[in-house]
Amino acid sequence: MTGPVSLTTVFPGLVWAMAALALVQVLRRAALWRAGAAASVPWLSGLASLPRRYLVDVHHVVARDGYASRMHAVVAGGMLAASLLTALAILPPLGGFRPYWGVVAAAFGVMAAGSLMVGARRYPVKKPRLSAGRFQILPFLLLAYALGGTLTALLLALGAGGIALPFTLALAAAGGLGLAFEVRHGPMRHAAAGALHLVAHPRPGRFAGRPDTALQPLDLDAPRLGAEMPADFTWNRLLSYDACVSCGRCETACPAFAAGQPLNPKKLIQDLVAGLSPAEPAYAGAPYPGGRDAMGGRGALIELVGPEARIHPDTLWSCTTCRACVEECPMMIEHVDAVVSLRRSQTLELGALPEKAVGPVTELRQAGEAGGRPLAARTDFAAGLDLPVLAPRGRTDVLLWLGEGAYDLRYGRSLRALVRLLRQAGVDFAVLGPEERDTGDLARRLGDEATFQALAKANIATLAARDFGRIVTADPHALHALRNEYPAFGGRYAVMHHTAFLLELIRAGRLAPGRLSDVSVTYHDPCYLARYNGETEAPRAVLDAIGVSRVEMARSGRRAMCCGGGGGAPVSDVPGERRIPDLRMAQAAETGAGIVAVACPSCTAMLEGVPDRKAEIRDIAELLLQAVEAGR
Amino acid sequence: MIANADALLKPLTIKGLTIRNRVMSTSHAPGYGRDGKPQERYQLYHAEKAKGGIGLTMFGGSSSVAPDSPAAPWNQISVADDSVIPYFRQFADRVHEHGGKLMIQLTHMGRRTKWDTEHWLPTVSPSPRREPASRTLPKEMEEEDIARVVKSFAQAARRCREGGLDGCEVSAAHGHLIDQFWSPSVNQRTDKYGGSLENRMRFGIEVLEAMRAEAGDDYVIGIRMSGDEMIADGLSQEDCLAIATEYARRGLVDFLNVLGGQARDHIAHAISLPNMSFPVAPFLFLPSAIKREVDVPVFHAQRVTDLATAARAVADGHVDMVAMTRAHIADPHLVKKLSEGRADDIRQCVGAGYCIDRIYVGGDALCIQNAATGREATMPHEIRKADVRRRVVVVGAGPGGLEAARVCAERGHAVVLFEKSGQAGGQIGLAAKAGWREAMSGIPRWLVAQVTKLGVDLRLNTEATEAAVLAEKPDVVIVATGGTPFRGHAKGAEQHAVTTAEVLSGAVEPTGSVLLYDEMGQHNASSVAELLAKRGCLVEVATHDRMVAEEVGTTNQPIHLRELYKLGVVMTPNMELIEIYPEGNRFVAALRNTMTDAEEERLVDRIVVDHGTLPVEGLYRALKASSVNRGQTDQDAMLRGEPQPYDLSRGYALYRIGDAVAGRNIHAAIYDALRLCKDL
Repeated sequence: MTGPVSLTTVFPGLVWAMAALALVQVLRRAALWRAGAAASVPWLSGLASLPRRYLVDVHHVVARDGYASRMHAVVAGGMLAASLLTALAILPPLGGFRPYWGVVAAAFGVMAAGSLMVGARRYPVKKPRLSAGRFQILPFLLLAYALGGTLTALLLALGAGGIALPFTLALAAAGGLGLAFEVRHGPMRHAAAGALHLVAHPRPGRFAGRPDTALQPLDLDAPRLGAEMPADFTWNRLLSYDACVSCGRCETACPAFAAGQPLNPKKLIQDLVAGLSPAEPAYAGAPYPGGRDAMGGRGALIELVGPEARIHPDTLWSCTTCRACVEECPMMIEHVDAVVSLRRSQTLELGALPEKAVGPVTELRQAGEAGGRPLAARTDFAAGLDLPVLAPRGRTDVLLWLGEGAYDLRYGRSLRALVRLLRQAGVDFAVLGPEERDTGDLARRLGDEATFQALAKANIATLAARDFGRIVTADPHALHALRNEYPAFGGRYAVMHHTAFLLELIRAGRLAPGRLSDVSVTYHDPCYLARYNGETEAPRAVLDAIGVSRVEMARSGRRAMCCGGGGGAPVSDVPGERRIPDLRMAQAAETGAGIVAVACPSCTAMLEGVPDRKAEIRDIAELLLQAVEAGR
Repeated sequence: MIANADALLKPLTIKGLTIRNRVMSTSHAPGYGRDGKPQERYQLYHAEKAKGGIGLTMFGGSSSVAPDSPAAPWNQISVADDSVIPYFRQFADRVHEHGGKLMIQLTHMGRRTKWDTEHWLPTVSPSPRREPASRTLPKEMEEEDIARVVKSFAQAARRCREGGLDGCEVSAAHGHLIDQFWSPSVNQRTDKYGGSLENRMRFGIEVLEAMRAEAGDDYVIGIRMSGDEMIADGLSQEDCLAIATEYARRGLVDFLNVLGGQARDHIAHAISLPNMSFPVAPFLFLPSAIKREVDVPVFHAQRVTDLATAARAVADGHVDMVAMTRAHIADPHLVKKLSEGRADDIRQCVGAGYCIDRIYVGGDALCIQNAATGREATMPHEIRKADVRRRVVVVGAGPGGLEAARVCAERGHAVVLFEKSGQAGGQIGLAAKAGWREAMSGIPRWLVAQVTKLGVDLRLNTEATEAAVLAEKPDVVIVATGGTPFRGHAKGAEQHAVTTAEVLSGAVEPTGSVLLYDEMGQHNASSVAELLAKRGCLVEVATHDRMVAEEVGTTNQPIHLRELYKLGVVMTPNMELIEIYPEGNRFVAALRNTMTDAEEERLVDRIVVDHGTLPVEGLYRALKASSVNRGQTDQDAMLRGEPQPYDLSRGYALYRIGDAVAGRNIHAAIYDALRLCKDL
């Protein structure tokens, strides 16, 4: 009674062996993560919400690529189901029950179909965004395990077998053990690390249905500031980088990559992985544009950034912090946090800001304004409009936060339009005048947390001395800082973007716009409004209310492409082959719209600076004012 | 975007008065005053600038504070009694409504005016020295006169304040009474008002102290002054610097409005109001030098025609406010266009001096290229869209045709513009070929840019035949075919004379000796004479007029004369060309002295004539019969600002404008176009 009976034990044993091997591989990996700093992780709630995080949040991202979504459901679902069922067959009643093997065979069959789908993405020609290397053998391992499993289970179900069974079993073992082995360095690491990452995610708020996008405050008294080497990241961040499955969705979304600047978010994450792991196989995806060879040492205590290190400073400073990569990442990796951690170390520990960024950051620190201009000159744009200034102990309904754009000649026009609209609607509003300092957004994105915190505290003190209902601002960067980042320093305010506020005024009948029906408009979502704050509807509703014909760009809403103006990228000014705003305006031109509507001073400046542009750049407030005037 | 544009758009606060940007218009005398008051036309002219975003507009150049400085000569404003106050209030409201600030210039002109106008009071001055420009011999002021005029200034300042004006300046420039006291070229007194600079400054100090006492110390009062009189016996740059520093140190002035030169005679006047022969901002160094010494804001005007220069002047710290006075006459919406990012739409002043030249012959200030300026009550600066979209064919892309096409396109009509030659601009293209007149080309350059932007179908190198016009199925045809130079009536002229246009176009290139006979007295003959002399010709200009360039205005004529004198051009007035005949390779011109009838002959290599132009009207005549209006413009409707009363359902209406009707000038062509087309 050898043969079939013992094989019903051997086959489940194989799966148990796979699990054991995978566990060993994970533990070997975990030894690396232990190099990271401590992090407080709410394990219980994390574990409890794992299914939901996976099935809802992850799936929401994965499903944007229908093929990949179906592929993953079939291959992963099939593999999990088949492996689990097979593992359970170690129990004699199940193992000896032939119809049960029929079910197992079906599960393996599903997986086999999925394996073919995996293969179809890579053969005969790999999709460009995918990495090659060990990923190229993944379909074969999958198929071997699936096919071996299917045949073995079928034979067991039929009670046949004999001579064929050892061969099918060997096929399954080759594939299965290969997959398990790959948990340490290969493609299957994403499954183990991904699941753990979902449990121990550093931003659990992301899964609570709200944008959890505020940068986490840095303790400026800590012995080391920011991340210079892998060991400076918390362990769960190191874990998160291991979750990367090299799918390249971030690369496709990255504006700097598209512009040929030396940044590829996938490669950046993979460099963080490789920087930690001495035995990591060679990276086999698209390089950083510009084709710099991989260099630098590896290890938890080896510096990550430097002209001779794994990550060139130009790579680091190319990031616009637009979060397009984060938005696209099916593994929920926080690329921007990683970039800012690295920048914090460069800026605060090494004083290695990009040359052109030193001036603005120094001015922010010393003058409270990136251009070093007098704070009182912030209201120059409104000379003649008699802006009410909110004095200490003064009271206003709406505090209008002007932001950096107020100094800009072009953007002053948008703000004047906004002020005129507020007047028109009879809004009780005021500005801080010379008491408004920069929110510190630029300093923070460039890693100068100290300057950011100093500005935040100064602004919070200014605001604390005044009584206002809510803050309205036309600058999404200021909005993000005030709404999402100041609370960590004790400043909690109701902050509205001007588009949302204007919509409120229209709906309340306080503004009565006419219709600009012969105008065709495409709306460019600001990253800090759409992705950082999830606000995409109000600006569109305002445009609809003024009757323009609204067309969408191929990339819009939370998936819109950045203008290139965030994260200090304009001041760092890392050269590329193209310019990001040129690319965005080319996308806008595809819609045929005569006007690109904007809602952010940075977008206005970046897009209006595009040479030979065919469309006008108009802030939503300008368009609304035009409509209100037309309606009179 | 213009470099440093943001420097222009910063507010400036003077004694609590916040001016929204650094662009202003200085006080000038457009000749719009009526009965000594700034009435509707005057007010609307300045309100338009306020609407166009200007920070500060100053009006009433040389507004008089006393009857012996009469307001009549330039249809100016009298602040010599309280009856002007209600007009000031209305005026201030009109400007403030658009966010602009309004100030006036107060002055007593001393010897620089006429005794034989209005009140027939003698002119007065520190010393009885005749001013060449005004041709009056003044009475030497007694101390009682001084006290009286000081009091008049004080009362005038009070009237400004009561009238709601945001401030005022006193004029101590261009040779008015205060600088007559300052300047040793006029002041030869031996009492406490003459002699040392300290004494010569006294009168102005008394004036300003009295004004401050009357109007209150918180009222903005400035002074307009020269930074260097640029005459041998006048105030040097050092003197002017000393005066500016002393007045500012004493707290007498809240701003200094500094210019270069003075205006005691024709050439000085032309230099102080630089035309297109000067570089831009030729005297910016003068306010710049003063700004280094004083704590009060410094203003400056003098041929700052473009925003790039203006922005540089402010951004580099030469001045606090830059005056673009003539630039605003060309385009009162200049600042608005800058701040709206539409700087390319600004109609830039070319420095033709047409505006100011007109007022010195008693006319009203009008812009050579913007026919709406000074006519705000009837002519729009912003063209309203028409209710019905028409098909308009304009023939001829000279200034009139271009303006017609521009206005029609702004109205929303579909416009086809035919131009026979390869270049738009018409006769301006010729005028711009003559030496310092090159900047004239700015007029068509702006118009062409506008019509292109507005989508006008501009067809260069395309002659508009009757068939070509009708093929467009037009509702309206506007013939702006211009004029063709004509050789005059002298015997033999048709065969032997060449025209100034032929010289400028290069069709004829005279050498040797040239007789240039001019019947127009305009720029044409003078600039061609200058061109030929510079090419090495021996040139004599003969004219029927009493002088060469008699019709050219006061800021241009002296420049022509200066250049002709320098080149040794012989100028022979009071001559009529009566006959031309060839002699060998040369020509004989017979001239008749218009006073004596004596005849003279000249044997020269070339005879060039300027008799103006006659209309090119072939197409007009061909289209006339089949048009619904037989080519007639209903003048009454046009003058009332109403649409032409023709029924276009029955066919097309035909109009002609500009030199195609009768040879006139650029402004006439553009005004013809604007007032017809704004209602089409």
